[in-house]
Amino acid sequence: MSINESASDDAKDPIVIAKNLTIGYEEPLASNLNLVVKSGEIISIVGPSGVGKTTFLRTIAGMVSPLSGTIECNVKRRGGLGYIPQRLGLVRHTSVYHNVDLGARVGVSFGEFGLSWWSERNKRVLSCVEAMGISEKIREPVRRLSGGQQRRVATARTLAQRPKLILADEFLSELDDDNISAVLDAVKAYIESSGAAMILVEHDINRAKQVSDRMLVIDDGRLNPFIEKLTIQEVKF
Amino acid sequence: MNRGLNRLLLGILFLLILCYIVFDDLVQGDWGKIDGAWGRFSDFVSEDLLPPEWGMLTDAYYDGCTEDQAMFCSKAFVGMLETIKMAFVATILGFSIAILISPLAARNLVPIWVAVPARIIMAMTRSLPSIVWALLLIPPFGLGPLPGVLAMTFYTIGFLGKFQYEEMEGVRNDPLEAARVMGLSRSEIAFNVVIPESSNSLLSQLMFMFEYNVRHGTVLGLVGAGGIGFHLMFYMELGLYHHAMTFLIVIFLVVMMIDLLSMGVRSFVNEEGDVKRPSWLMTLLPPNAMFSNQNQDGK
Ligand SMILES: Nc1ncnc2c1ncn2[C@@H]1O[C@H](COP(=O)(O)OP(=O)(O)OP(=O)(O)O)[C@@H](O)[C@H]1O
Ligand SMILES: [Mg+2]
Repeated sequence: MSINESASDDAKDPIVIAKNLTIGYEEPLASNLNLVVKSGEIISIVGPSGVGKTTFLRTIAGMVSPLSGTIECNVKRRGGLGYIPQRLGLVRHTSVYHNVDLGARVGVSFGEFGLSWWSERNKRVLSCVEAMGISEKIREPVRRLSGGQQRRVATARTLAQRPKLILADEFLSELDDDNISAVLDAVKAYIESSGAAMILVEHDINRAKQVSDRMLVIDDGRLNPFIEKLTIQEVKF
Repeated sequence: MNRGLNRLLLGILFLLILCYIVFDDLVQGDWGKIDGAWGRFSDFVSEDLLPPEWGMLTDAYYDGCTEDQAMFCSKAFVGMLETIKMAFVATILGFSIAILISPLAARNLVPIWVAVPARIIMAMTRSLPSIVWALLLIPPFGLGPLPGVLAMTFYTIGFLGKFQYEEMEGVRNDPLEAARVMGLSRSEIAFNVVIPESSNSLLSQLMFMFEYNVRHGTVLGLVGAGGIGFHLMFYMELGLYHHAMTFLIVIFLVVMMIDLLSMGVRSFVNEEGDVKRPSWLMTLLPPNAMFSNQNQDGK
């Protein structure tokens, strides 16, 4: 992957461009993936378990190299990319505050805010924790929170970055319907106001249709072939 | 009897035979000295060691005491306290240095060309036991606690550092990956993700190391590097075994106490969830004691 250091904030530039991508570890999992993600879009990746959805996200994030093809991600290296892994990637023994501050730390730079960067960082942590409705847990160690609450912490951490692109794996699992709309509204509001984009993995097709603008189906033949107007493509191999 | 147990017993039997062969080779077939050794040992204990000279626990053998200090001015007390202080300083110093080096040795944090030199540095400090370090440091620093503390610090760096980087390499991958994708720097990842994530084990290792250093500190005195071992050696060399015996008892009791203390602290920090576990004192009671207690309450 090439992270474009001279990333411009021009909203018309695509944030992600994947061309003829083949993903996998030693063996290819899915090939011929083409995807262009523009500012303000929410894209969901759908497919059966084990097909390579997580692998695709990790490839976009630069944690796995593509077996062939190119992927371009026009975001800042520090703070530009938010990632909520399937297992959340939280530091379990430290407080909610500390975890969200990891995001604020990469999102608030000294260069941008000067001497007030410290208080800006603190403000950002508090506002993101507030937005996720976990303010009363802010001093609790993360391991004591419920699954859904932990997911909100991970979301707050990502929002505190003010990232250009959010990658979220199985984003809505473990949240009940009320929680889903609360969390999703906050994320959507952020995406609309900032011109960021989001790619989320969702195993439930109906929910994917509800929450996203477009859908990318990765299928190894197990899924019934169906193409909705939402579906941009279906990849078979 | 099940097959697994049979195999285990067979394995142990094989190892014991191997052990006998090596042992026999070591003493070159001459087991003669074993005859009567027990008798000689029990004579030594009953005549030379017992009864202990309890005067060591008073100010009787120590000069420069003001009145009324009694036990707090005894060689046993002062020496033991010195050993504990030495172990305390060396453990904290060694821990602080090790925690700075060990992220540089963890393969999930740095490239291999950084990890290898960092590991070599730690392996070097670990390759000599602290008593050998003490022997090397006494010529430049003179007799006393200073070379002892430095020797223990060196050993602690290498010993604790190895535990630390192995612990760091064992942290779950997903927090690391999330942190990398976010764009946190390596040092930020080490200090804000990896070390907090392994903090429980790091603390438990720290307690273990303190306990280890107290035990080792008693030996350091034997070569003149301060602490209670210094007094122990003094009376041993004079053949005053009754006096030495008092020190041995004090060392035994203190090490036992620190052992229990660190067991308690470790079981406290090791708690994964936040389930209340029985205190370490409870673990010394027979298992049904806890329940019989509850039953009485229920009546
Ligand atoms: N680090 C790895 N090295 C090699 N193979 C891996 C690795 N991680 C995952 N795989 C394999 O790649 C395949 C796809 O895994 P992936 O996690 O991308 O699936 P997924 O579509 O996200 O499934 P799920 O919906 O169950 O999360 C699996 O068969 C898995 O065994
Ligand atoms: Mg997955």
